Amino acid sequence: MLVSNIEFIPGKKISKHLGMVQGNTVRAKHAGRDIMAGLKNIFGGELVGYTELLSEAREEATARMVAQAAAIGANAVINVRYSTSSVTAGAAELFAYGTAVILDNDRA
Amino acid sequence: MLDLGIFLTLLVLGYGFGRVAESRHFRSIIEKERDFQDLLTFSERTLPTDIGDVDAALVGGNVVISIDYFKRIAAGLRSLVGGRIGAYESLLERARREAVLRMKQEARAKGATMIFNVKLETASISKGQNQQVGSVEVYAYGTALIPTAARPVASGV
Amino acid sequence: MYENRPPPEGINVSDEHPLKDFFILFGGIGVAIVILVIALSFVAGWLGRFVPFEVEKKWAQKALSFSESVGDVSRSEPQGPGDDQPHAVQLYLQDLADRLADAQGLPDGMGIRVHYVDDDTVNAFATLGGNVFVFGGLLEKLPHENALAMVMAHEIAHIKHRDPLVAAGRGLTVGLALASLAGLGNSQAVDAALGQVATVTVLKYSRNQETAADIAAMATLDRYYGHLSGAEVLFEALHEHSQSYEPPIFLSTHPVTQQRIDAIKAYRRHASTTGALTALPTNLPLAR
Repeated sequence: MLVSNIEFIPGKKISKHLGMVQGNTVRAKHAGRDIMAGLKNIFGGELVGYTELLSEAREEATARMVAQAAAIGANAVINVRYSTSSVTAGAAELFAYGTAVILDNDRA
Repeated sequence: MLDLGIFLTLLVLGYGFGRVAESRHFRSIIEKERDFQDLLTFSERTLPTDIGDVDAALVGGNVVISIDYFKRIAAGLRSLVGGRIGAYESLLERARREAVLRMKQEARAKGATMIFNVKLETASISKGQNQQVGSVEVYAYGTALIPTAARPVASGV
Repeated sequence: MYENRPPPEGINVSDEHPLKDFFILFGGIGVAIVILVIALSFVAGWLGRFVPFEVEKKWAQKALSFSESVGDVSRSEPQGPGDDQPHAVQLYLQDLADRLADAQGLPDGMGIRVHYVDDDTVNAFATLGGNVFVFGGLLEKLPHENALAMVMAHEIAHIKHRDPLVAAGRGLTVGLALASLAGLGNSQAVDAALGQVATVTVLKYSRNQETAADIAAMATLDRYYGHLSGAEVLFEALHEHSQSYEPPIFLSTHPVTQQRIDAIKAYRRHASTTGALTALPTNLPLAR
């Protein structure tokens, strides 16, 4: 499944536009990451725990979006956008959405 | 002893009413989505080449949904051990689909047949700490394409 | 070319029942808290035995000197006009306590110091450093010395088992652990709920301590008087008094009153004969 955030895929023609597909997940950190983050608050630097947490969450949201696209018969998702928001303290919502399309393999 | 009683009562109330409200909402969402099935939405920006004469108008729809006590406690427990908060996922799903439906409603009132460049914004009005009401707002907006022939003559239906 | 195909339900929403998820979480975290509390209580109890009684007495002295009602911890002289009668009561109580402590066999260096508080409160308790407080309201309810001796021997048993120190240590460690976990749940209600779980666990230890003190007190009374007649009078009075409301057993620091009465009666059946009850001294204002 091709995933892209541009509208025209080079060398391919869109034969059908199938509409919007969305994937989201709400992830909470666990207490251990919080304590490490608290320490980092004093010393500064990258919060590796949170970075990993959010990457995993983003991957899962993308996977769900791709699952929706596959279920309706698409083979690509274009114009993908991501959105992160904090819906409750200590948890983040990762949201991915795009348009599912069917691509023709045009390149000779 | 009294604290425990109040806590359990709120929990049961939150769960009961929350579940009922959620299933009712989902049913109404599925029904309305069937109605609006013919109003096409895309997140693309490029308009089709054969679109003909159309007017463009920005349409949007938003909704604010609040969490119930049960969801709040479940989220609190989950944030001790980490992982997915299923209760919030269903809340956000409802809010998003409702927002898109309201956007479609506005578009239909204008006589549109397609909406392009749909974007969604999620915000949390208050995170629900310290006895405040936690809530989630979703805003969906896009450009509606109104065929000039079908533009309603009189405003309002 | 352009169409909308609706995606199927259930991709973004998990179909797992929220209650099942909730109970697994709550159960799991609850069990973890109970294990943590048990481990910390064990450590507190084990470490407590290593604190020598002398050190405990010094701590108690510092703590008690803040309490106004006690004032000078050793009340070997009447404190002023109007203190003659209460002072006489205190001397009597101290004497009784010393005799019972002999019968119980306290380790060397451990002594009981009784403080009488001329008050209507119906209570008696043992605290750090071998200090036992008895309130006037309690003495009013006791018709004879045997009942008073049961209460006194119970408090002395607490001192012998080092219960005040262990309970204080346990409260400290469990409190510290809970405080460091507080706030991580992002919700006051979650913290309160988990605090309740810890409290219920700690109360079980408190009830164990009380039962052990009851058993030791019964043995002491048997040794001192030769019989156990009249020992349950206080509990019977309390039982009548509290018929209206007694908290459920798992939320209570003491075993159920009826259970304590039954235990005394059972001991009496197995043990020695009945005997005459010893009266309280008449020259003291004990029964008002």
